[in-house]
Amino acid sequence: MRNKTRLSDILLNGFVYLATSLSVLALGLIFFYVFTEGKDLLSLDLIRGNYHSRNYVATLPQSSNDSFNLQPTEQTFAIERFGLILEQSENLAGDSVIRVVYVADDSPFSQLVLQETGNEVVSLKEGMIMMRIAYENHPTSLTSRGAAAMAADLNDPDRVVREVMFAQVGGGIRGSIITTVYLIGLTLMMALPLGVLSAIFFNEFAPRNMITKTMRTFTETLTGVPSIIFGLLGITVFVPLTIRITPASGSNLIAGAMTLAVILLPTIIRTTEEALKVVPADHRFASLALGANKTQTVFKVVLPQAIPGILTATFLGIGRIIGESAALIFVLGAAIKDSVNIYQPSTSLAVHIWAMMTDEPANVALSSTIAIIILMIVLVMNLSIKGVVSLMIKKGRA
Amino acid sequence: MEPIIKVENLDLYYDKFQALKKISLEIHQNKVTALIGPSGCGKSTFLRCLNRMNDLIEGMRMDGTILFHGEHSESSTYDVIGLRKKVGMVFQRPNPFPMSIFDNVAFGPRQQGEKNKQVLKEIVEKSLKQAALWDEVSDRLSESATKLSGGQQQRLCIARAIAMEPEVILMDEPTSALDPLATQRIEDLIEELKKNYTIIIVTHSMQQAARISDKTAFFLMGEVIEYGSTADIFANPNDKRTEDYITGRFG
Repeated sequence: MRNKTRLSDILLNGFVYLATSLSVLALGLIFFYVFTEGKDLLSLDLIRGNYHSRNYVATLPQSSNDSFNLQPTEQTFAIERFGLILEQSENLAGDSVIRVVYVADDSPFSQLVLQETGNEVVSLKEGMIMMRIAYENHPTSLTSRGAAAMAADLNDPDRVVREVMFAQVGGGIRGSIITTVYLIGLTLMMALPLGVLSAIFFNEFAPRNMITKTMRTFTETLTGVPSIIFGLLGITVFVPLTIRITPASGSNLIAGAMTLAVILLPTIIRTTEEALKVVPADHRFASLALGANKTQTVFKVVLPQAIPGILTATFLGIGRIIGESAALIFVLGAAIKDSVNIYQPSTSLAVHIWAMMTDEPANVALSSTIAIIILMIVLVMNLSIKGVVSLMIKKGRA
Repeated sequence: MEPIIKVENLDLYYDKFQALKKISLEIHQNKVTALIGPSGCGKSTFLRCLNRMNDLIEGMRMDGTILFHGEHSESSTYDVIGLRKKVGMVFQRPNPFPMSIFDNVAFGPRQQGEKNKQVLKEIVEKSLKQAALWDEVSDRLSESATKLSGGQQQRLCIARAIAMEPEVILMDEPTSALDPLATQRIEDLIEELKKNYTIIIVTHSMQQAARISDKTAFFLMGEVIEYGSTADIFANPNDKRTEDYITGRFG
């Protein structure tokens, strides 16, 4: 019999293709937007740098050497008298600044004396911003007059430097990256053993009765609970707990990791259980028939075969840790830190984005750059776990 | 000679279904005993009673006695792990663990606490030689067992069982998943193994039972219809149902 409803088939197929294209387009657009907005700021300085800028006011020591041999490029300005090279540049906010490109090892600028204390030595480093240089009996060189003028002033042998003001630029995300790495490590350290062992209990040991069924339903329901509720749990339970048993005095990284561990548990239990389920019953029988007991069978035969599944769970977990922001704003705080301490508040990369976007005005460019970094981390994680799993399968170990 | 296993009045139930009815059998040392019968007749269930693998099935209930060396191996206080060390098992489908060939064979001894590498090496070599697999795998013991062919995998499973130095080896249709050539090799191996071990084999193939076994038990609907020397059973069966089955009239 000939099928006559051709039009509806075409329509249905059309919807299928349309829906797929729209989803791919939406994902593609997000990537495209993030990359075009954020790629300009992506640099090692951003990743390594401090978030908080720091200004220094210092005086210049006496120097014997008064001529350095320097090779400036077209856009940079050499100061042979002090062994410095400067350039005209812009900061993360787009203001024009004078950046230090090179400081000679024996330049007097690498042994500046901090004015606050009068004896602490600080050195000017590449990448720092030169803000102001004051002289005895001469007008001060300022940022607004540009790098060329500042270099010319400094090279003038008549001028005696009285005071130097320079700054370590801020805006870097090193602290947030470190916090994120700590969070991943601490959370997995707590959630993986708990989750995997619980999954073993549910799949291998638990008797099939109402209590097991209820417990399983309960853990599965937790998967759908919004993370802000777990954040509430964190602030009411884990923060006071950590304040009691650790040196912490408020929101802190350990409490954040504990909260994330609770968020991850249902996913890890579920994924591990699925992995245990597909281990052939034959292997369990073979092991038991060889005189191995139940525990040996589970840990020596069944669990090793579930490792790819557990790795997948780990990956999903890491994605969740990196992406979580709502729960962490309470428990970990939203204060961006340069020196991270697990007993103190700090921000993960996702919360860093939140902080940037709630700034006035919102810093979309930097947020996009952080988003690129997050995407990179997730991509690398995904690829490496896939690599490990396929290697295991290739070797016939799973 | 005293039988190594003596089963008396064995009844077995899965919930309400009675799978075995009043089974009484004697298994003799260093003989190959074949269990034949149509699907669902209880021969595999019977086999699994002998190393208590049925314990794993929920709702299983057992009455009667199974004497292993004169001891009540069916009693709840009997050392099941110890029983399984002495009564090894080879399954229908080859089921090597996804580990190296060496680790597969060494698995049993290792779980018993054997850690000495030299001892393990000797056990692995001896077991693989006895299972007629050594010549094929001696140069790749560290490779994954899952890369072996089906027949090799099954011989590896036999080697794995042998490594525990059992007295009895139970085989549950060990060749049903193999091609004729691999089947032939396993049959030759069984012939060889019966010098050192007592073998009980469940098989669907009448020819196989006739070729390799010394004694044959014919199961039907959970009962043993006839049990005797293989030659007698195949040449002149006492029971009409046995005759019908072995001449291929049903089953």
